[in-house]
Amino acid sequence: MNKFYFIIRFVALFLFLGTSVAFAQKSVTGKVTSGDDGSALPGVNILEKGTNNGAVADSDGNYTISVGNNATLVFSFVGFTSQEIVVGNQTNINVALESDIRALSEVVVIGYGTQQKKEITSAVASVSADQFNTGNVTSPASLIAGKVAGLSVVRPGGDPNQSPTLRLRGITTFGGNSEPLVVIDGIVGASLDNVDPNDIASMDVLKDGSAAAIYGARGSSGVILITTKSGKSGKGSYANINYNGFVSIDQVANKIDVLSPEEFVNRGGTDFGTSTNWFDELTQNGSSLTQNISVEGGSGNTSFRGAVNYRDNQGIVKGVNFQRLNTRLSVSHNAINGKLRLTLGLTHNDRDQESINLSAFRYAVIYNPTAPVFEGAPDDANGGYFQRPLFDFYNPVALSKQQQFVGERKNTLTNYRVEYDLIDNLTLAVNYSTDKETGLNGSYWSKKDLVTGAGSLGQARRDTYDNSRRLIEATAKYAKGFGDLNTEFLLGFADQKQSFEGFAVQTRQFLYDYTGFNGIDFGAIRNGSNTEASSYASEDVLRSTFGRVNLNYKGTYFLSASVRSESFSGFGENEKSGIFPAVSAGVQLTDLFSMGPVSTLKVRASYGVTGNLPPASNLAIASFGPGGILDFDGDPLTSGDQYVSLRQLRDPNPTLKWETKKELNFGVDFGLFDGRLSGSMEYYTRDISDLLYGVNIPTGAPNPFDPINSPANVVGFAWANIGTITSSGFEFSASYSNVKLGPVNWTPSFNFTFYQKANIESFRIGDLGPAELRLATPGSPGQNNNEIIRNIPGQTLGNMYGPIFRGIDENGAYVLSTTNPNDFVVVGNGLPDGEFGFTNNFSYKNWDLSFVFRGAFGHDLYNSYRGFYENRDPGSNTWNSVVTDKTPYVTSPPTFSSLYVEDASFIRLDNLSLGYNLPTKGDIFSNVRIYATGQNLLTITNYTGIDPEVRYSDSENGDRFTASLAPGLERRNTYFTTRTFTLGVSLKIK
Amino acid sequence: MRNTRNNFIAALIVVFMAVTGCEAPDQEIFDEIPNDVALSTTDPTALQAFAVGAYKPLVGTWGAHNSLWSMHEVASDEMAITHKGADWEDGGQWIRTHQHNYLPSEQSIGNGWGYCYSAIGTINNLLKNFGSSELLRSELEVLRAMVYLWLIDAYGNVPIILETDTDPTPPTKTRQEIYAFIESSVLDNIDNLNQTKTYATVNYYVAQAILAKLYLNAGVYKGTPEWQKAADACKAIIDGGLYSLEPNFLDNFKTENAGSKENIFVINYDKNNGVGFNMPQMTLHYSSQATFNLQQQPWNGYASLEEFYNSFDPADKRIGSFLAGPQFSSTGVRLTDLSFEPTDPDGAPLTYTPEINQLFPNSLRQAGVRIGKFEFQLGTSPDLSNDFPIFRYGDILLMRAEALWRLNASSTEALDLVNQVRARSWAGNPLATLTADALLAERGREMFAEGYRRSDLIRFGKYNDAWWEKPVSAASKNLFPIPQGQIQVNPDLVQNPGY
Repeated sequence: MNKFYFIIRFVALFLFLGTSVAFAQKSVTGKVTSGDDGSALPGVNILEKGTNNGAVADSDGNYTISVGNNATLVFSFVGFTSQEIVVGNQTNINVALESDIRALSEVVVIGYGTQQKKEITSAVASVSADQFNTGNVTSPASLIAGKVAGLSVVRPGGDPNQSPTLRLRGITTFGGNSEPLVVIDGIVGASLDNVDPNDIASMDVLKDGSAAAIYGARGSSGVILITTKSGKSGKGSYANINYNGFVSIDQVANKIDVLSPEEFVNRGGTDFGTSTNWFDELTQNGSSLTQNISVEGGSGNTSFRGAVNYRDNQGIVKGVNFQRLNTRLSVSHNAINGKLRLTLGLTHNDRDQESINLSAFRYAVIYNPTAPVFEGAPDDANGGYFQRPLFDFYNPVALSKQQQFVGERKNTLTNYRVEYDLIDNLTLAVNYSTDKETGLNGSYWSKKDLVTGAGSLGQARRDTYDNSRRLIEATAKYAKGFGDLNTEFLLGFADQKQSFEGFAVQTRQFLYDYTGFNGIDFGAIRNGSNTEASSYASEDVLRSTFGRVNLNYKGTYFLSASVRSESFSGFGENEKSGIFPAVSAGVQLTDLFSMGPVSTLKVRASYGVTGNLPPASNLAIASFGPGGILDFDGDPLTSGDQYVSLRQLRDPNPTLKWETKKELNFGVDFGLFDGRLSGSMEYYTRDISDLLYGVNIPTGAPNPFDPINSPANVVGFAWANIGTITSSGFEFSASYSNVKLGPVNWTPSFNFTFYQKANIESFRIGDLGPAELRLATPGSPGQNNNEIIRNIPGQTLGNMYGPIFRGIDENGAYVLSTTNPNDFVVVGNGLPDGEFGFTNNFSYKNWDLSFVFRGAFGHDLYNSYRGFYENRDPGSNTWNSVVTDKTPYVTSPPTFSSLYVEDASFIRLDNLSLGYNLPTKGDIFSNVRIYATGQNLLTITNYTGIDPEVRYSDSENGDRFTASLAPGLERRNTYFTTRTFTLGVSLKIK
Repeated sequence: MRNTRNNFIAALIVVFMAVTGCEAPDQEIFDEIPNDVALSTTDPTALQAFAVGAYKPLVGTWGAHNSLWSMHEVASDEMAITHKGADWEDGGQWIRTHQHNYLPSEQSIGNGWGYCYSAIGTINNLLKNFGSSELLRSELEVLRAMVYLWLIDAYGNVPIILETDTDPTPPTKTRQEIYAFIESSVLDNIDNLNQTKTYATVNYYVAQAILAKLYLNAGVYKGTPEWQKAADACKAIIDGGLYSLEPNFLDNFKTENAGSKENIFVINYDKNNGVGFNMPQMTLHYSSQATFNLQQQPWNGYASLEEFYNSFDPADKRIGSFLAGPQFSSTGVRLTDLSFEPTDPDGAPLTYTPEINQLFPNSLRQAGVRIGKFEFQLGTSPDLSNDFPIFRYGDILLMRAEALWRLNASSTEALDLVNQVRARSWAGNPLATLTADALLAERGREMFAEGYRRSDLIRFGKYNDAWWEKPVSAASKNLFPIPQGQIQVNPDLVQNPGY
């Protein structure tokens, strides 16, 4: 290390001497120390302000730099506050740098504005770019996985095309939107797809009801505010170029153990004579490339930032990948002495992706290990692949090649903002933004694909969609101090219109596979099964009025109150607007009492009401959709008398309204040792009522919500506001900046959450609503009708019910506590008791090292690989079996029981990153950093499936509205987990 | 001065925002037709479409899996869905059904109810809006009566819902009340109905067939038989002369069976426009995909019981209602099943054996003859185009024969009618006398897989008997339970006794 450092210093000195001939007029020396303890600070950057002339402090903190006349030196170092010193006549300048204690001065983004952290009276967490997770992070949400107490960011399996699932403080809704509302630079409801992780400056999470209430009927699932990087005005004329590029390798991190070919044959399996490792055939080492280049600059009253991001990700499975080009431009301009401020933001995101039928994973597990991949010529009926006509038994490699799913997606986000200081203290602002997403998908099932294509003789599909959102917001903000009382008033109005349009075409029966989905008109059959011609279009409007008052008395007492009124076109006739109020207050105790080492102690309490919108806007309206085709004379050859019949689409609910979440939050923000140890604690309780859910209503009977005017129930199902769930939790987070470990600085951050899992209070509204909700059957074969999750009022949400496994009898048959479903007991629950994240940042001279442990505990998973494929199927000698240390010898056909429910508590080394900042000299680079990152390096768990990650929702059966009610199922289509190694470099060019 | 003006502008903006913010937006509909638009039409074609569309809700249960048809068939001695190892365990529903342990929570029990009442809701909505046309009103009320015929047979005690009702939780009526409602609905309207032949819609003879079924089962439905009325209703159809036996029995069930002279009322299935008749998927072994070049792999579910199959004589052409014995691909290659069980007597070659080793848990996957009554067109999708007969002339003849025989066990007309039906498919083997067993067996051979076996067994007092792996069952099982899901949302429903 010392030797290396010496070389660097030598090179730096050499460069310094080289340049000093031209510029130096005066030499300054000195020593940089830490203001905390007086120890030497090596590696500090010293820059002559306004020039490219710089130096780096050596291992003893000593530096030498030659400067011109009237020079000012800037001393900067990670974790410390930069200092500027005018040189004047001095030739020896010793500097003590103070720790950068974030908590004291941090500005937190809240809805429609910012506040100093010390003023915040509700539960808000803020994460800035230097705290983000590193490595090949493709989704913004993954940047803060494990960083915010109460926020779960999970992406089970390793599918690069799958977005993470987000849950803030657990489940908030069944039928509404369970993902937090995303606000990008003030654009409410923008899609996360619009922003590349490279372009994000900070993310703020509004956790409690009072913070989110300013977003009214969309705030229940929490709010994530994203602030993107932008140019800075007032710095004079400048332009910086930043480059960040990295390459990554993805490896399979975990797969399912199965019998080897020999074991399989010894057990009596059909021997096809070869040996194939189907995992290896399906997977590869995926490689990814990411390039980001941005230009940031400003001149006079104008500043800008432009960025281009390109990502090419190849997954661990051949045929699963995406390429994304994201470009972003933001421009700000000040006029009329800074009273008028204009901002323009443009983002375009262009993404191409390719995917396979995920069932290939299941077949890779169970396919006969003695079967070859190929057994014929490519022109053969099966494309040369080995195939056998057995139930649910398909060559996984053939499946991955013979079904093709391709998609293109384009997102465009535009934002125009005008701010004007009309009079003193009063600022008016108007925001106009559009968020547009268009997609074009193509799918093709080859004629040789035994699963689907062979039956339909080739099948091609194209579908396209166009979603857009237009938002106009006007706000007036009035801020004024009255003596010790500082006040801020906000009044705003918003009008949002969303539209969703699209169509799909599918044909089948092709002569050649050659054109695929590009030649959909080569398909002969365009009507009937496995074909489609359809379109849709819908629109909804949300109008809101909102206001807020923030009071700050002497910087000691804080009060905030807000209200938002929401009118949504999709509410029922008599329920057109909802009111969402909030109030919160806090007091800084350290201003009132002297508390020794405690430098900050703020206690606060808040109460807020938020909502959730119905999942579609037409649920309150009776209308007809297309039914089957009618043929008046019954003769299909005469088409003049054929029409599409009208089908009553739904049983409307004209009383449908928003969901309501009432949340009480108590919090403490603390700082010790001058704020070097800081953190907060939160305790919350939530009461969510009027839950949106589709309920059964008596089929054929008059409409229960409006028996006179609405049509009789044809579907027997309507959306209604039913029931109540409650939950609570405790969150703790703390960080200690710059613990000294000799020459190494260590900043640990730790957070954890304890959940009291959501409890179902009621599912009923009047006579309606289910007595209980049974969901999530394991599936085919043979386990189609036995739901394993029962949501029962009075119990925890998502309980798994089944018989207790007591062992096996002498014949190897299950001994179960019961086979009567009425006697089943709770055998597990998929929701966690708690989650934690532990981030560690180390810096040593120019080196930095960080790693993140993240985990969850107290949650169970149904391991469906074991649940289906552990037992030897007595009829089938062709399926392979899953073998784990939990595998008993069972001869019975697989049936769900406690045997297949496993504790999935885990600790995972999510991220480990090592970086080196090259000392820079000269005119070109102001910063060069080389780094290496490993993701998902280590998982400690007793779970034997693919991924112990919490499953907050179920993908397989039911629909998206029941998905949240069936947590804890690892399905057989789970993409294998990946381990990722990244090597990258980032540069900043002056 | 300037400050005042700016204050004024600010106030104006604030007031504007407050006012516009309060206005609730309307919901526009683009890709659907709102009820008020659709129902205000005066276009005669649209009105005709509504009338014909009343039959659309009937498509999708007869011959579909997890349906009322499944319950009628699997609860009878005609068919079972055995557990084949892991396959078809499905929570035990099909074993419970075959052994008459069905629960109110069975999916197919709920599906059957939903199917019937969804049709009733649709019919009532049409009656409410277009009921002023007498012909349409009569046709719709008789159609509604037909749906109630299915309800009285399966569930017995159910609510009666009329288009004028406004009670969102309609109460249970007794089976006797339902009987009276069906009878009066038909009798009040029958004379308004078309007396010419129609295709898949209600006419005078469909109404008579509804009465015939109602009266034939009157003893079961209301406690007092109506044999003469049943015989008379059948006679009205026979005398009408519009229908006759197809010379070839199986022609009634072929893919293009719209021209059948025998079918009086059918559910109009079509592979494109009226889907849900999934028989090839439901019954065939996986490997049989190659026999019919099926577009999708079948599921290997429904098979016929050995004893029932053996009630068919090999010379009886109706034995063509089954697929039995060795199976071949469409090009004549012997099919094999690589995952055959070691205990399978003939090993890998696919053979539908009449014998089924057991109902569960490890029924051999090739065991049991399959349902081949409805033609599977080569290359068919899972959705058949064969229309499903609800009322068929052959059935009418047997029903009249039974009614006459019940009135007079030595009725020669009854014997002649049975032999007329029998002679078509099994020439040279007329019955000499009629007995209950002979009649039931004849109905079994004629009506297999058409959804009437359970009803016939109940009428002949055999439904509670033991057969194969089905033990003796309680008389209360003659009615299916009221679905759990419906009782939960309608407190005015009463569960049938014994559940």
